[in-house]
Amino acid sequence: MRKFILIIFFATPLLLSSGLKDIPHCKFKFESFSSLNKILEPTDIVYDKDSKHLFIVSGHGILFECDLTGKVIRKASEEGMDFEGVEVTDSFVYVSDEKPRQVYKYRKSDLSFVRAYNVTWGGASNKAFESITYNATKKCFILVSQYPVFIIEYNDDFKEIDRHHFHGPRDISGARWHNGYIYLLSNLDETIFKCDPTTYDIKEYYKIDVLNPEGMTFDGQENISITSDALQRIYFFKQLPTIKQ
Amino acid sequence: MLAGTISTVSYGQFSEFTDNPSSFTLSSDKNTLQIGGRIAFYYENRFLKPGYTNLDHNGFDVKDMDLDLLGHTANKFTYEVHYSLIDLVTAATTANSSPTTPGFKAAYIQYEGFKIHIKFGYDKVPFSQGNLSHEHETPMWSHPNITSGDFFARRDLGITLNTSLWKNRFNLYAGAYSGLGETVFQYGGDASGTFEYIGRAEFSYPSKMAYNTIDEQNSPILHFRVAANARYEDKTQPAGGAVIGTYYPGIYGTYMINGTRTIYGGDALLMYRGLSLTFEDIVMNMKPVSQSDPLFNGTPESINKGVVNGGGFTTELSYDWLKAKSVFCVGYENTNADDLIPGHMEWVTLGYAYTLNSFNSCAKVEYYIPTVEDVIQKPTKYTGQLRIGYQLVF
Repeated sequence: MRKFILIIFFATPLLLSSGLKDIPHCKFKFESFSSLNKILEPTDIVYDKDSKHLFIVSGHGILFECDLTGKVIRKASEEGMDFEGVEVTDSFVYVSDEKPRQVYKYRKSDLSFVRAYNVTWGGASNKAFESITYNATKKCFILVSQYPVFIIEYNDDFKEIDRHHFHGPRDISGARWHNGYIYLLSNLDETIFKCDPTTYDIKEYYKIDVLNPEGMTFDGQENISITSDALQRIYFFKQLPTIKQ
Repeated sequence: MLAGTISTVSYGQFSEFTDNPSSFTLSSDKNTLQIGGRIAFYYENRFLKPGYTNLDHNGFDVKDMDLDLLGHTANKFTYEVHYSLIDLVTAATTANSSPTTPGFKAAYIQYEGFKIHIKFGYDKVPFSQGNLSHEHETPMWSHPNITSGDFFARRDLGITLNTSLWKNRFNLYAGAYSGLGETVFQYGGDASGTFEYIGRAEFSYPSKMAYNTIDEQNSPILHFRVAANARYEDKTQPAGGAVIGTYYPGIYGTYMINGTRTIYGGDALLMYRGLSLTFEDIVMNMKPVSQSDPLFNGTPESINKGVVNGGGFTTELSYDWLKAKSVFCVGYENTNADDLIPGHMEWVTLGYAYTLNSFNSCAKVEYYIPTVEDVIQKPTKYTGQLRIGYQLVF
């Protein structure tokens, strides 16, 4: 009987198909990083092309405006509970407060609070909306639940329009629309997924070497910045590499 | 359950339900309430030594039937009520209860509005990595013996202060507790009127780590934690005083003593690319007031000097093979509850989990071998024990 048990223990289970094996992919290494000593648990980051500043949110419920190195310029006076996602549009900054399931709207000019929208997610308290972006292709906001992963589309008043179940990664912690694609970031898989902005099908993916990546953005030169909440850092990457087919 | 490296910094940091993805959350403005639970069953088979015929440990058993309410209020309070229905049913139907099946597993409130978080209530005490880690998040079905609750209490009612420094890399706990452990609900069972004091200091690098001992994230960089902790109580009972709690003195005689007890230890956890290694050493120093205490084993005072020592160490090596949804684990434990009684105990444990959805939905196989038996203090009737079962966390 002991031999049987040892065989069970050491027997190699059959590899399961990951479902991603046929999708083009490559590794993508960061160039440098900067510590965010003043921002506890930085969970998401977005680049504003008008001011050429970064907006960064903290898991402690604070919205910061920073320079491109992450140095804090100012912060919003209206605080939330658990800010996990941030997006910027022409005039406003939108922030996802994960635990209470709310989206905060701030004026970009002075970070004054405009209003909060209630959104619903019945799943686990810490597995809700860690990502928010504006899908310019479909002209709607999207919030992405961390697990199970659903991409939910909203109109400008955060009324739900549609939802898509996203298969593949173990979680999603960041989302960004950029130049006609939706990019989704997985914390547990440490991977950036490049997706079709209409169907959200995965086109390519990039394995990164960052612990606890939580949020991502593109700067004016197409370079990528990724925040790690656990390490309180911004990781700076160059442009996404071309994947050889 | 997966990783949650930072999310547990303040939100129910000892809770077994902070990261279970299949629970349900109600929210009303800034007040949230998460409802979760865990159900697990296994088949147990003990391979009995020749001459033993009692097969009462060969059959199906309920491991967990837990419900948990974990909430956060708009004014920065966290609260949790976690109870085991199977423990309560067992206690009600058989009148049997023990620290390893406490019924209530958590019932506390915590204020998180200050830099130092203040918790008041009943929960795991901040002592021992093996205690704070959740066995359901490993391929094993139970904790190592020394941190299972029989040597010393795992949970208690009291006040815990907690703060973190330097990007949460230093994590510090201090608290005062009833000292009655899981038997605290029999209020009035301790005539000493004293507390147990517990402190723990952790250093993690490069970031704070949760109380998970399996590298489910397949950490791309070496991630580690080292910690030291200690606890002290003087439960010397006044003349004519009550016996200390209903579980006194426990199956090893160390759960509570009529006298003073100091326990200290250190632990470490390393994770890298799916591999994880744990180590923990615990030393118990006990000074019963009476020389007739069984812990002295009838030795003269000139030999025992009024002191009994015990303790042990445990280590586990695990590998999370993500692509195969498989987690392997090998554990070793070496303990001696009382150095005045000849003999000690050693165990080797093998574990395997097939994780359909992390440890939230998985099949587990555990094989447990008592390689060295303490024939005087805890003789065993079997040469091995197999458990095969399934668990679902929601």
